[in-house]
Amino acid sequence: MRLGANPEVEKFRAEFAAFLDEHLPTAAEATDRSKSSSHIPEWARRWQQTLFDAGWLLPGQPPRYGGRNATLEQVLAHQEELSRRGIYHSFNPQGIGIIAASLLTFGTEEQKQQWAVPLLRAEITASIGMSEPGAGSDLAGLRTRAVLDGDHFVVNGQKVWTSGAHDADVLLTFVRTDPDAPKHRGISALLIPTDSEGLVRRPFPSMTGTDDVDFNEVFFTDVAVPKENLIGELNNGWAVANGSLGHERTMLWISYAERLEDLIRDAPSDQEWYATLQMDLQALRLLGYEQLSGGRNPAEVSVLKLFGSEAVQQATWHALEERGQDGLVHPARTAPPNHMGHDVFCNSWFERYARTLPATIAGGTSEVHRNIIAERILGLPR
Amino acid sequence: MEFEFDEDQLLLRQTVRETLAKTRTLPDDELWATYTSLGWLEAPPVELAIVLDELGYVADPTPFLATATWFAPLAGRLPGGSGTGVFDGAGRFVLDADRADEVALLTAGGVVVVPGAELAAQRLDTFDLRLHVAHVSAAGLLPGVPDLALMGLAATTVGACRRILDLVVAHVKQRQQFGVPIGSFQAVKHKAADMYVAIERARVLAYYCALTIAENDPRRHRAALMAKAAAGECQQVVYRNGAQLFGAMGFTWESELHIYLKRAVAGNLLLGPAAVHRKALLEMLAAATPETGVAAL
Repeated sequence: MRLGANPEVEKFRAEFAAFLDEHLPTAAEATDRSKSSSHIPEWARRWQQTLFDAGWLLPGQPPRYGGRNATLEQVLAHQEELSRRGIYHSFNPQGIGIIAASLLTFGTEEQKQQWAVPLLRAEITASIGMSEPGAGSDLAGLRTRAVLDGDHFVVNGQKVWTSGAHDADVLLTFVRTDPDAPKHRGISALLIPTDSEGLVRRPFPSMTGTDDVDFNEVFFTDVAVPKENLIGELNNGWAVANGSLGHERTMLWISYAERLEDLIRDAPSDQEWYATLQMDLQALRLLGYEQLSGGRNPAEVSVLKLFGSEAVQQATWHALEERGQDGLVHPARTAPPNHMGHDVFCNSWFERYARTLPATIAGGTSEVHRNIIAERILGLPR
Repeated sequence: MEFEFDEDQLLLRQTVRETLAKTRTLPDDELWATYTSLGWLEAPPVELAIVLDELGYVADPTPFLATATWFAPLAGRLPGGSGTGVFDGAGRFVLDADRADEVALLTAGGVVVVPGAELAAQRLDTFDLRLHVAHVSAAGLLPGVPDLALMGLAATTVGACRRILDLVVAHVKQRQQFGVPIGSFQAVKHKAADMYVAIERARVLAYYCALTIAENDPRRHRAALMAKAAAGECQQVVYRNGAQLFGAMGFTWESELHIYLKRAVAGNLLLGPAAVHRKALLEMLAAATPETGVAAL
């Protein structure tokens, strides 16, 4: 154990900070806003390409995929520098963080060139089709069917919560390819272009306002998908799903730390909850940092997810409540908007609180993570 | 920053665990002789936190905590024999004041070390029968709690909480009702998971505090307030959920659970409970600029 920065990491951090100072789009350039998690405005596409070309998009990847073979600790520094400035490196976060990352792990060389590189260069965007009306926490119970017919799969079924699907070019879709196998073993991952015949998207708004449209229902009726769009092996989709989410999960806590830092900036208080917030933030950073060192039970990531998301929810509730009746005002601005970020985190206190709900639902509900901790860390019987 | 134990620290933890597993039935003076002969009192802050975490796990009955974290930081040395410190300004609820060989007093004229016998402090009756606590009457006492004392109680409380969770996990795995182990019920799992998360939060803050003390970092006092407050909050969750999950047996003297529940509560109450340290933290934060990121660790 020791305090103090690692020189290799700080050198990396300084290099990235210098790059950002030189290349960040100005507020005048970045006027168009992102409308969904798969909608990248023109200026932001150029920004993502700039990051890709300079190896600053996904620094853990090799240079040909927008990185520089950075260590995990350096990747963390990269995220922190973005977060500190309120910058999104991509406005299609799942496209690069989950889908392109999965392609780089599980895809063939052709698939990497055909899909991953265009995603990373923001030439196309992607959403992820996982949940279904009957398969949420029990993801492996998904029923959307894909049947191989010669050189293509025929897909029938429905997805829901497919964030950004109405703006996406392609969906990473998890489908059942072997209905007779045990449920985790009969799933495959397909990349399905959204302009495929028989694919219908119905976007719907969140509770925060009719203009906040990210969620979609996606219906598949005899959708033909070329065989080459299978990612990973047939019936091995569960490994792809776990791998995909794995990329996301180890660093997810940084977004919770970011929300807690927002509250420190926007809602300083002399009430006890504010001390709790500071302790939560410090503990979250320490636990997150500890997880990076490796060698720990992978289920410990559930501690970060559960603890971080609930800490944010609790603190944001207190920030809202402390406003008293003024908290009723909506829409409202509670912080100066950042042209490189999402406006939603600067909106009314009620909206900021309401928006903490997805964190305790998506990516495994808090209840599922409590089960994981109890079963895989404490060893309680299933 | 590196937040992992190095090999020597892992080895120390292993040694402490093995030693304590073998010595649990020994009388206090023999335990004390064992700890001192192994050099645990000389351990620097992070290593000391490792030892205290494990001593909390066994609800240690010796004056180790007081000697290492109440006497030493005040006197700037280890005592001949056991020791304790008086630094609350009122001389109330001083750990081991009734049996310490030397007592360091924080006074207007600086730190004064007196033989414990001279103070003739009488041990108080408390719910934690393994703990020695006494009031001290002396003139000119000043308040000034050492960070190491806060860290010591935090690490002890974390250790006691870990023991409670281990006992509870073992219980709910073997206790059968409705034909299944009660640990298979979600209501039980979720309470146990919340205990684990609370312990993890308190654990990292306690060790981070030890690390800032070891490196005499300017953030050490803030870290100490956080560690003590988090340990107290952890204790509240772990006591409530732990006692509940243990069922009626946890309310009896027959089960050993009560020993660790009491040590955990004592760890929270001594030197003031979580709320006191949250308040002190708020006062400190009001005067400081926030830091961001792991770079700030």
